[in-house]
Amino acid sequence: MVKELVELIAKALVDYPDQVDVQQVEGEHSVILELRVASDDMGKVIGKQGRIAKAIRTVVNAAAIKEKKRVMVEIIQ
Amino acid sequence: MRSLEITAKTVEEALEEGIKQLGVRKENTAVEILNEPFQGLLKFLGSKPAKVKLTVIKEPEEYMKDFLKDIIDIIGLEGEVISKVEENGEDVTLNINGKDLGLLIGKRGNTLNALQYLSNVILHRQFTLSNGRTIVDIENYRQKRRVTLEQLAKNLADKALRTNKEVILEPMNPQDRRIIHLALQDSRDVTTHSHGDEPYRKVVISPR
Repeated sequence: MVKELVELIAKALVDYPDQVDVQQVEGEHSVILELRVASDDMGKVIGKQGRIAKAIRTVVNAAAIKEKKRVMVEIIQ
Repeated sequence: MRSLEITAKTVEEALEEGIKQLGVRKENTAVEILNEPFQGLLKFLGSKPAKVKLTVIKEPEEYMKDFLKDIIDIIGLEGEVISKVEENGEDVTLNINGKDLGLLIGKRGNTLNALQYLSNVILHRQFTLSNGRTIVDIENYRQKRRVTLEQLAKNLADKALRTNKEVILEPMNPQDRRIIHLALQDSRDVTTHSHGDEPYRKVVISPR
């Protein structure tokens, strides 16, 4: 569910939606979502001073409250 | 619906040019190939260019409405999005109504502001020629917040005047600070300014 959310937002932001990939790494109390995008699109999901990445994390954290899990979004090169 | 016919050497080139002229992503258009390019026996004899017709199937209003609805559905909340294009023909207002949406508003509207920020970025990524803004609200939160902040501003202005001391408010985001400044800009008793760095910037109300 949170994974789908990151996919939806990332695909809307980038030039190459086909290359958006989110891998979910489950921990006991937390989930790590690894977001990968085309290298040309890195800036498009991070934004100036990380503003876009921060907004994505804020929305994802809201969804995580509903799942009662700690979710971390990592943008991977 | 906006549509456009484009002629070019190949179908791909025609598509690319059409999308550029319309200022939208390919995903938001319907494509009809009117003519496949045809190369004559001799390169220049009897060859025909490609011709495509592009129709915009999703304009910003519908795109943003669907985007927010998808977010609500994925999170598993119950809610509806009501969209409206403002009088300037470009700004889109999106109101989300439903059950238990406090989660989507967040502490002091944090999540709501993140959603609005993302919506604006996405609007301009998907519709490169648009100059519009999106305003996202949930259950009239912004209106209610404004009333609360205006009341707070008046109470604290009274306090500043009564005690003849500066009153420093808690850290607020730029939108909230603006509401406080505007609420007191015509006051004869107090002045306001902001102090500190984001995200801890605070409004200070001082007696005149």
